[in-house]
Amino acid sequence: MSRGTLKIGVMFSTTGSYAAVGAAMLAGAELAIEEVNADASAPVRLEPVFVDPAGVTAAYADGAVSLLRDHGIVHVFGCYTSSSRKEVLPVFEKHDALLWYPSHYEGFETSDNVIYNGASPNQHILPLARHLLSRHGDRGWCVGSNYVWAWENNRILREALMEVRGCVMGERYFPVGETDLSEIATQIVRDRPDFVFTTLIGESSYQFFRLLRAAAEEAGLDQAAEMPVASCSLSEAELPFIGAASAGHLSSSVYFSSIDSPENKRFTARWMARFGYLGHACADAEATYTAVHLLVRAIKRAGGTGFSAVREAARGLRFNAPQGLIMVDEENLHCAMRPRIGRSRADGTFDILFEERAPVRPDPYLVWSNSATVTQDDPRHGHHLRLAP
Amino acid sequence: MKGAITTNFRGIRALVMHGDDVNRDTLVNVLGRLGLDVTVLAPDALPADSLPHCDVLLFDADENVLVPCPSSQGTDIPTIALIGHETPSRLARVLGRRCDSHILKPIRSMGVFTALILAVNGHRQRLRSERELDALRQRLSGRREVMKAVLRLMSLFGIDEDTAYERLRQEAMDRRVPIEDAARDWLGPLPAGGRIRERKRMSGKA
Repeated sequence: MSRGTLKIGVMFSTTGSYAAVGAAMLAGAELAIEEVNADASAPVRLEPVFVDPAGVTAAYADGAVSLLRDHGIVHVFGCYTSSSRKEVLPVFEKHDALLWYPSHYEGFETSDNVIYNGASPNQHILPLARHLLSRHGDRGWCVGSNYVWAWENNRILREALMEVRGCVMGERYFPVGETDLSEIATQIVRDRPDFVFTTLIGESSYQFFRLLRAAAEEAGLDQAAEMPVASCSLSEAELPFIGAASAGHLSSSVYFSSIDSPENKRFTARWMARFGYLGHACADAEATYTAVHLLVRAIKRAGGTGFSAVREAARGLRFNAPQGLIMVDEENLHCAMRPRIGRSRADGTFDILFEERAPVRPDPYLVWSNSATVTQDDPRHGHHLRLAP
Repeated sequence: MKGAITTNFRGIRALVMHGDDVNRDTLVNVLGRLGLDVTVLAPDALPADSLPHCDVLLFDADENVLVPCPSSQGTDIPTIALIGHETPSRLARVLGRRCDSHILKPIRSMGVFTALILAVNGHRQRLRSERELDALRQRLSGRREVMKAVLRLMSLFGIDEDTAYERLRQEAMDRRVPIEDAARDWLGPLPAGGRIRERKRMSGKA
């Protein structure tokens, strides 16, 4: 039986300041596209059109216009930062197109032109805050890149600490790309917080990990054990860039390459064979891979490839992803997923220290889960945050 | 509310603090069409302590720059926040900056006029309320003095409470000062012949 070909857009920055993550996301998309095209039972063949905005926010809008208007594409996989997503949203609204956004983000958005299959704040920062408070203490130091991802995560963490009468010992922001961070590393070692929370991204982040480890060693401190650095974005894609200081850091994520399941074994084996040079598979790559499969399932369910039909078919859609069973929320088009906390290892993977027992419903506006001290089993959460069946 | 509202913004100086992009282009175009005099400033080019002279401020709430508060330089002006990210950390800044209205991004031509009307007129109402509040506060803090002055007049001139109050009120009106000020003047030590002092005071009104 012959099947139609569907042109799709794939827009990630594989050059520029967050190129490492962009390359991994692109690879995740390619892996899934190959699988779909090799599967005779899939409803369509996918023909990707690639755009690299090189990490330049304004270039995302141009890229989106080119994909949607010039190529007449309706489904695009793309964006990593929130500013890039905000930049392209009007274009998608104007052209009745759907953005499949496979990155964790800070929440507080629900567009009918976006399927969000990265973690929402109740799936990344809240579980991390709980973990830090229960295992490491209530005195934190916050360092971040100066943009909305950092501000919002720090606000949530600060409120969580305040609630238990803990404290934020310091909070500093640096321009994206800043690597002159030795002074802040020294300052933090001098202050000896219970943990450090970083929302630095890209090159700034890698340099900070190295400098803090060095400053701690000089002060005779076992940084990983006594003053761990925690983050909601550190992934397998980035560990190789940190170098010798890459082990012992905490990360909150819905996916780690070390998840022990048949689906993930299959996925990581294919990943290593095809893209092993990028490091181990990471959350953003897995989410992009998963988003492509979600699209194909939604097309099958809808019986067509149109914008509204596919979006409506996506509501409530389930998929056995490498991370486990996920489900697109019928109400807000984010995904129910299992929060996990990992600790990085020298071999570029993570030990999983904690995982939620079942997928947690996405709560992008933190309506049902605004406190870090409330556990998932607390009845105050109401039905919205009960674990998905 | 008394009086007509401002709906014409011809000649009003607007300062737009926003990076160079389509949002800013749209905004500046619409403001120009509405007759405003527009100055543009990139957030990173912000002067440390003072803003250029302007009648309305429109600033990018998504940027982490500390917009100098106009009240710190003695000029509280209508302020409009330009909002892209609806995150609480950003919106707290909008509140802290006492914005009179806002425009959501992506900025379209529709909505700018509404935001201006709400900001300019809302700001005026807010200033009026603040002035009234100040007057009330002053009155409240002077109440004790008025009471004491009435008692003093009663004993000095052997008059009843209503007459004493009426006399104090009349004196304040004649001197064109708040009754609280007139009352305070009666509370100091009186020189011999309070009436003379009183007359002198009344003739000194000019």
